[in-house]
Amino acid sequence: MRKELSKTRTSLLPWPKPPGGPRFATCHFCDTLHTAVPVPEGTAARCRRCGAVLYQNRPASLARASAFSLAALLLMGVAHLFPFLTLDVVSLRRHLTLVGAAMALIDEGSPVLGVAVVLFTMVAPLMLAGGLLYVCAPLLFGWSAPGAFLVAKWMHQSEPWNMVEVFLLGVLVSMLKLAKMADVHFDVGFWALAGVMVCMAAAVAGIDRDELWDRMEVSKS
Amino acid sequence: MNGALTKAAACGLAGCHACGRVVAVSQGRCPRCGSRLHLRKPASIQRTIALMIAAAVLYIPSHLLPIMTAVELGDVTQHTIISGMITFWKEGSYPIAIVIFTASILIPFLKIVTLIWLCAAATGRVRPSPSMLGRIYWFTELLGRWSMVDIFVVGIVVSLMQLGNYMSVAPGPGALAFAGVVVLTMFAAMSFEPRLLWDRLDEQLTAVPVAHP
Repeated sequence: MRKELSKTRTSLLPWPKPPGGPRFATCHFCDTLHTAVPVPEGTAARCRRCGAVLYQNRPASLARASAFSLAALLLMGVAHLFPFLTLDVVSLRRHLTLVGAAMALIDEGSPVLGVAVVLFTMVAPLMLAGGLLYVCAPLLFGWSAPGAFLVAKWMHQSEPWNMVEVFLLGVLVSMLKLAKMADVHFDVGFWALAGVMVCMAAAVAGIDRDELWDRMEVSKS
Repeated sequence: MNGALTKAAACGLAGCHACGRVVAVSQGRCPRCGSRLHLRKPASIQRTIALMIAAAVLYIPSHLLPIMTAVELGDVTQHTIISGMITFWKEGSYPIAIVIFTASILIPFLKIVTLIWLCAAATGRVRPSPSMLGRIYWFTELLGRWSMVDIFVVGIVVSLMQLGNYMSVAPGPGALAFAGVVVLTMFAAMSFEPRLLWDRLDEQLTAVPVAHP
């Protein structure tokens, strides 16, 4: 990564680096030290020793991250308003919602599991999409939101605990499980949550962690 | 080994865990985000092994105890993870049976085995190639969350199958144990430090210590 870049390539919009000193990047896997040079848009800097990605310069990163996280938040609202599955047994009709699944676990004597479902399918996705929007949208206009550093830290923490896609697989498995004893069909909430999953993946992949923090540092100074 | 490659730790530099900024570890806290700086995650092997032992202990009751108890017209049936999988297999729903087998039985088991093996490699007890180990580590971090699928199935079925006197389903103690396995293995994978694997490799390659700049 230390090779010289020609002037034409550096003009291809690297994100602004905060002032002061040479910048370094370390590999998360092998701890090899690299000088953090700007890379052209759409490419990634890789570790020279083990090949792991060090940082990426994503195209239209701030706009994409804000747009997709906003879409994810809106779809999350839809997913909470409408049921995922509708089940008909004889004359009974039951609806499945995220809150309903968590409440049923709490009511039926397993509060820990209920809280886990709330954390993994509601709190973590909300922190991730909400945090990303809160941090990225003001950066589009060059200023940083109050408490953005803290929000960004919490956002990174919540990332592994976001299990929207796992919950969707759970809905599919339960549908097949219940299909033999009742009439089950998908509802709006399921498709909305599938949209949340796609938008969330696009939002998180939209901006690199180093870029986000560098931009935040520049806007603050 | 390429002489131009140096390790950040050899220069006293640490990459911040939270924001990725590389600064001298002597500063104590990251000047950008305020997180504590470490050259390597503290006590990573001890923490990983402790969490793995806890997960391995919980793994046994999670498969022996029922994850769901169904009451159908007064008949009580208890379902374990394995019995649910066998039912799907017998009915001919092979893909679902394979998904449940992979997510609930294979992945947690493989995760416990690979993380203990990675800890052995990080302490120098076994010596496989680090690039392969890196891939294995990435794989365990990626797949661990999918084990949670069974807990969500329990939640969904419990929520839908509240049909008054006709049928009701309640979560069993096995589900709690299984959720414990998933969460503990996730924490274990997070506390593991992959850079230790490369440190061991460097120790082997440089029999004579190299003077660092």
